[in-house]
Amino acid sequence: MTTATIPRPLSFGGAPLSAWAFGIRIWVAVVIALAASFWLELEAPSSAALTVAILAAPTRGQALEKACFRLLGTAIGVTAALAVTAVFSQTRDLILAAFAGWIGLCVFAAGLMDGNRAYAAVLSGYTLALIAIQQLDTPQHVFESSVARGAAIAVGIAAVAFVNDLLAAPDSFPRLASQLAALHRRVRDYAKPVPRDEATDAATAAGLLRDIAALRPEITSLATESASGSIRSAAARSTAVALVAAVHAARVLNAVFAANNPAMGDTSAATLRSPALATASREFLGRIFAVREGLAALNAGHRLHWGWRMPLYRSRAIAAAAGLRAAAHLVLASGFFVLAGWPSAEVSLSLVALVIGLGAVSPNPQGFTVAAFIAAPIAAVLAGTLEFLILDGVTEFPLLALALAPFVIGTMVVATMPHPMVASLGRLNLIFILVILSPSNPQSYDANSFLFVVLFLCTGIGLLLAAQTLIPPESIERRQRWIMASVRRDFEQALSGRDRRLAPEEAMFRDAARIGQIPASGASHRDGALLEEGCDPARSRERGSAGGDLPVTPGGRGGGGARGRGYATPPRHGSHREKCSERRGRAGARDQRSAHARSHGYRRR
Amino acid sequence: MHSFSELVIGDVFVAPFIAYAVTALAIVLALRPILHLCGFDKLFSNPGLAELSLYVAILGLLTVAF
Repeated sequence: MTTATIPRPLSFGGAPLSAWAFGIRIWVAVVIALAASFWLELEAPSSAALTVAILAAPTRGQALEKACFRLLGTAIGVTAALAVTAVFSQTRDLILAAFAGWIGLCVFAAGLMDGNRAYAAVLSGYTLALIAIQQLDTPQHVFESSVARGAAIAVGIAAVAFVNDLLAAPDSFPRLASQLAALHRRVRDYAKPVPRDEATDAATAAGLLRDIAALRPEITSLATESASGSIRSAAARSTAVALVAAVHAARVLNAVFAANNPAMGDTSAATLRSPALATASREFLGRIFAVREGLAALNAGHRLHWGWRMPLYRSRAIAAAAGLRAAAHLVLASGFFVLAGWPSAEVSLSLVALVIGLGAVSPNPQGFTVAAFIAAPIAAVLAGTLEFLILDGVTEFPLLALALAPFVIGTMVVATMPHPMVASLGRLNLIFILVILSPSNPQSYDANSFLFVVLFLCTGIGLLLAAQTLIPPESIERRQRWIMASVRRDFEQALSGRDRRLAPEEAMFRDAARIGQIPASGASHRDGALLEEGCDPARSRERGSAGGDLPVTPGGRGGGGARGRGYATPPRHGSHREKCSERRGRAGARDQRSAHARSHGYRRR
Repeated sequence: MHSFSELVIGDVFVAPFIAYAVTALAIVLALRPILHLCGFDKLFSNPGLAELSLYVAILGLLTVAF
């Protein structure tokens, strides 16, 4: 037996060298962005530095894609700000209502997208706050403010792109290829005939499908990376879809094997000669071959002769609920500020909108607000130390650049930590430090305005947290119900043959994305049953009609008639089902029936 | 003396450099498939920097020529 040792990456101070290199890149980009903004005498140089902090991504492709969407989101937000100001400039309450409606709409749109597209949606939401709401009392300056912000963002984007190219920021595709290769190994391991109960089997398959679908944003961002980016992105896309198809083929193989040989130990020639098993094995091997082909094309940068899309599943009901909640949270916060009658409250309201927007694209919006609530005082202390203890009246730019180094590099190293909460704290701290410090030429060093900004930041986030506690998100059970209802709807649609937009493999990927969104309620029996239905609804349906004991969702499935429906059976199945029926006759076992029905539909184009 | 033509969008004057920068970006993006066919990525140890240099060269040419 041979063993292979994986070399540990070089590290310094408990963090890998790549994290330090990332921090140094971001610091250089912040310094260049500030230097260029000061030289060009831009009105909002801190926006350029903030753009760098927001675009901070460890790889070049991700940063560039985010930059493109930041420009697009800003353009949409600026247009909305001009329109809202033009229509409601004389009515403060209506402008706040329109703002809340716009934020809700943008959060809803973000809920229907993923990755940087979702970020662009929420950015266009809070850009309205940064422009129209901050100029609430001086609407005649909205256009100048928009131009200043646009210029600062363009400078920030140029700085990030320049530094990433100059300092050779790593490409995404080697890491992505290794992630896909690791998933490929896991799928092959999953296909080994090991005795598993149904719940474990469904959970393992769902875990695999979830991990594959989670790579979608990264795969999309490959396109901007280099001259061969779009070709590598297409290869990675097809590999991911082929992996999803391989998971389904492995399930079929396991089911057929279990049906032929319940003890899972008999590998006699008679068992292995079973025609159903041979077909399932061929199907699985075909899928694995497609995965290998895709991986080779990804690594070599070759074009594949076949290609699939990665359709995204998003629940409209969940997105609409999130949009309504975001609007309600903003109405509560702005209502409080209107009643309080504080001067300069628009700064706080803009920060509330920013945290709502950024939270909407994080997996747990309330958790993000909690992280922001913790990060704000830490950032206040750090920014105060930087402004009044380290810089303390300094006017030379090189000293500002040097003083920024430990703060920017340190927070970015923390942002690369594996723990999501710690990583969020690192990223938020850099953003908040730059917001509070607000580098300008000349720097004001005004303790009064520093305290006001800190107060508004902490008050705004605290208010948002209170609003989110008052109007909490929908329960996990309700979200599960909404997702399972869409499973059943799609199944009915596919059975009726109306949905022919997607190839079978693409439909499988969409299902995988949906399975990835089924939240865990903590009740393992219920979660297992839902995952099983999500992975294999055709079988769940058969079992449901046979009197299976799937837990009934309160107010959801109700009677047995609706139980277990919902497999998004790929389109173009009509003739396949007939052929499957013939095989059913030969094989006999129920597992084989559902296995064949699926395997047939999932043949590669 | 080379004079730059102003870009006017809805009575708003836009710096000519913006038009050059956007045009150069569009040209580089359009060239990408050709660069891939030429094996551009394999010619350089830092293809990103080479691509940026190409962008700057095209931007410079546009500024000088138009």
